[in-house]
Amino acid sequence: MIEVRGLTKTYGAVRAVDDLTFDVRPGAVTGFLGPNGAGKSTTMRMVLGLDRPTSGSALVGGRPFPRLGEPLRAAGALLDAQAVHPGRSGRDHLRVAARTQGLPLRRVDEVIEQVGLGPAARRRVKGYSLGMRQRLGIAGALLGDPAVLLFDEPMNGLDLDGVRWVRRLVRDLAGEGRTVLLSSHLMSEMEQTADHLVIIGRGRLIADAPIAEVMRGGHARRRVRVRTPATDDLAGALLRRRLGVHPTDDGDLLVEGATAETVGDVALEVGAAVHGLAEEHSSLEQVYLDLTGDSVQYRVGDAPELVQR
Amino acid sequence: MTATTARVGDPGTPTVLARAAGAEWLRLRTVRTSWWCLLAATVTVVGIGVVMAFDAENVTATGELPPAPAAGEFGIMLGQFALLVLVLLAVTQEYASGAITPTLQWTPRRGVLLAARLGVPVAAATAAGVLLALVADIAAWFIADLPFSPGEVAGSLGRIAAVLAAGGVLAVGVGLLLRSTAGALATVFLLQLVLPFLLPAFGVEWMADLGELLPGTGAIWTLLGEPDMTALQAGALLVGWAAAALAAGGWSLLRRDAG
Repeated sequence: MIEVRGLTKTYGAVRAVDDLTFDVRPGAVTGFLGPNGAGKSTTMRMVLGLDRPTSGSALVGGRPFPRLGEPLRAAGALLDAQAVHPGRSGRDHLRVAARTQGLPLRRVDEVIEQVGLGPAARRRVKGYSLGMRQRLGIAGALLGDPAVLLFDEPMNGLDLDGVRWVRRLVRDLAGEGRTVLLSSHLMSEMEQTADHLVIIGRGRLIADAPIAEVMRGGHARRRVRVRTPATDDLAGALLRRRLGVHPTDDGDLLVEGATAETVGDVALEVGAAVHGLAEEHSSLEQVYLDLTGDSVQYRVGDAPELVQR
Repeated sequence: MTATTARVGDPGTPTVLARAAGAEWLRLRTVRTSWWCLLAATVTVVGIGVVMAFDAENVTATGELPPAPAAGEFGIMLGQFALLVLVLLAVTQEYASGAITPTLQWTPRRGVLLAARLGVPVAAATAAGVLLALVADIAAWFIADLPFSPGEVAGSLGRIAAVLAAGGVLAVGVGLLLRSTAGALATVFLLQLVLPFLLPAFGVEWMADLGELLPGTGAIWTLLGEPDMTALQAGALLVGWAAAALAAGGWSLLRRDAG
C-alpha cells in the first residue's frame, strides 16, 4: 500500500507536482500515466524519500520510507536503469544491496536467476545493454521480497520478449497480493497490464479509477463514422434526432453517441446512400489524450487510434 | 503507528550502520579504480621513500642522515593524493553515474549513509597510507641504514594518520558538496597541494599569509616541519578545514534532493 497525501514539489516557480493525493492498493497493478514532464518520476522519487517534498507526505506500508532500517523488505523500486556504477559487476551491485539489508548472498543469486541475467551478472555493468540494465534494476527491486514495488518505465529498452516478460512479471507480482505501481508512456501497454490507473498532467491528478471505468466512463466516447454523398441530408436528419454531428476533413461525418444501427436506419429513412459505416471506440490512448489534452506540455501531434468493428 | 516507534523486527541504528559500513567496504573493493589508486599510492610512497634512502646524504642541508621516518613522510606528502582520489571517487562517482539513487533506496537514512561514507573510505585510505609509510621507513632503514627508532616511527605514523584522516574528511565533504569529480578533485588539489606550495613562491607577503591559512599548509607542516608555525596552528588548520568541509558536505547529503 502506498498512500500519497497532498504531495507537492516546486522548483522555483514551477510546480512539478501539485497537491497529489491517491492510494496505490495491494493485489493490483496500478498504472501511473502522464505525458513527459507530468511529474511521474518526481512523485516516485518523493515516495522513496530521494527528493524532499515541498509539502505533503507519502507512506509506504504505513511508514515514511526514509526512516526504514530495512527498506528493501518494504519496497523495491526501479527508477533509472542507467543509474548504476559502470565499473562494478551486476552481481557485486546486488551484493552491496544485500549487504545493506542483511540479506544472504543466496538471495542475490536467486534474483539473478529470476530476471534471467545469468552469467552476464559477473561482467561489469559498463558492457550491459539497456535491456540488461533493466533486468538488473528489476533484480534489485525484487531482492528484499517487498510488499510494494515501484517501476518507472520498466519496458524502456526491452525487446518484445522483454516487454512480455515484464508484463507477466508485474501481473504475477500483483497476483501474489503485492502493491505494484508502474509508470509508462506506452498507453497500449497499460491497457494490457494495469488494473487501475492514476493519470496526472502538469503535476495534477486527472484521473484515479479502475481502467475499465476510465475506458467507458464519462470520458470515453462512442461514435460512428459514416461516408455518404448526401452529406447535408443525412446531417440534417441526424441533427433533428439531437445527435452531435461533425464533418471531418475528408468529407465523412462523425456522429457522437450513436450506434451504427441508428445511423444506418436514419440514412435509409432519408434515402442517403451509405458508402461506409464504422463504429469507433475510444482506445485508452484516445481517452488519455482527451484527459490530458490541456495538460500536455510537449505535444507532437494527435495520433488517434481507431478500433473498428 | 508513529514514525518513531520501530516495528517489530526492524533493526536498530547500530545494526543499520554496521550493514551500511559493510556495504561501503564492499563498494570500495568491487571497483577497479580503488585498486589502481592503491597501486599508485604504493608506487609513490614506497618509491619516493626508497629513492630518498639511496640519496640520503643529500636530503638535509648539513649532509647529516635523516631519520628513517622521513622516507614515509616524503612519500606520503605526494602519495596522499592517490589516496585522496580513492576517497573522493567513492563519493563523487555515485553522483556521476547516478548510483546515488539506488544507494539512497538501500540506505534511506541519510545520517547513517553519511557516517558510513565518511568512516569507511577515510579509515581505509588512512590505514593504507600508514602501512605504506611504514614499508617506506623500513625500506629506508634497510637500504641506507637510516636511524630507525620505534618511538620516532610511531610518532611519525601518527602524524601521517592525522594528515590522511583530515585530508580524507576534506575530500568527502567537498565531494558531497560539489557532487562532481572534476570540481571536487580540482578543489582538493588546490587546497591541499598546489596553493600551499605556490602562494609563498611568489614572494608577496599577503600571498604567503593566505597560504598559511590553507589545509595543505597544515599537512605540510605536520609531515615536513615547514613552514614556521606551531603544532596548534597546524592542528587547527587540519581540524578546522575538515570540520568545515564535513559540515557543508553533510548539509548537502542530509538536506538536498538525492542528486
